[in-house]
Amino acid sequence: MSRPDNETEEQEAWRVLSEAGLVEIRLDEFAERIRDVKRIVGARLHELLDFNTASKERESAAYSLGTLKRLELKVLANTPKPPDPSEM
Amino acid sequence: MKSTAEQLRTEANWPPQQRQIISFKSSTGSETAVLKEVRWGLVWRDFILEDGRVIPEHRISGCPRPQVWRKIDEVTDHEREECEERLLSMAGSGMDPRQRDQPFWAELNQYLAYTYLRFKHADRKKDTEQ
Repeated sequence: MSRPDNETEEQEAWRVLSEAGLVEIRLDEFAERIRDVKRIVGARLHELLDFNTASKERESAAYSLGTLKRLELKVLANTPKPPDPSEM
Repeated sequence: MKSTAEQLRTEANWPPQQRQIISFKSSTGSETAVLKEVRWGLVWRDFILEDGRVIPEHRISGCPRPQVWRKIDEVTDHEREECEERLLSMAGSGMDPRQRDQPFWAELNQYLAYTYLRFKHADRKKDTEQ
């Protein structure tokens, strides 16, 4: 994720989030975007577990990962089911 | 494209005041509504309308470019934890984020954007330090 010379920090954040589909999440993509973010947090947590320092960041990453997992489960559980073809 | 003078005028009057009528882009096109309040989220400002809808700043007509966003380090642990609690509570109560411009949609959008930037940023800082 390298920043072009003339790009400000805010422009970079906008670009990064746009590329990740996270500026305005499409309604049918919430579960997928939560999974993407979980992957990023999980990778960082994995790195932090190898360090003996940064325990605060490790705890915070673990908590965020837990939150994302719970949100993913709830979002999936609340997904409207397609109509049962046998009832049509 | 706006002239520099117009741009400066817009920025001086930004954001709009409470009770002001604002225009914004919605899924059905351009709309107007009464602004109830402007509130900072974890990354960008949200415009709360009188009817309860939540519109991100970048969709409001006349929003100065580039927009002002918060830096990831500005968000306190306490603020983040409160946001996580609210999200879990909304999800637990059966709210669905797939209702565009509603509070759960808006807050989950910002939380995912913030979390992504936060850990991507940490990743990049690590690369720079190596």
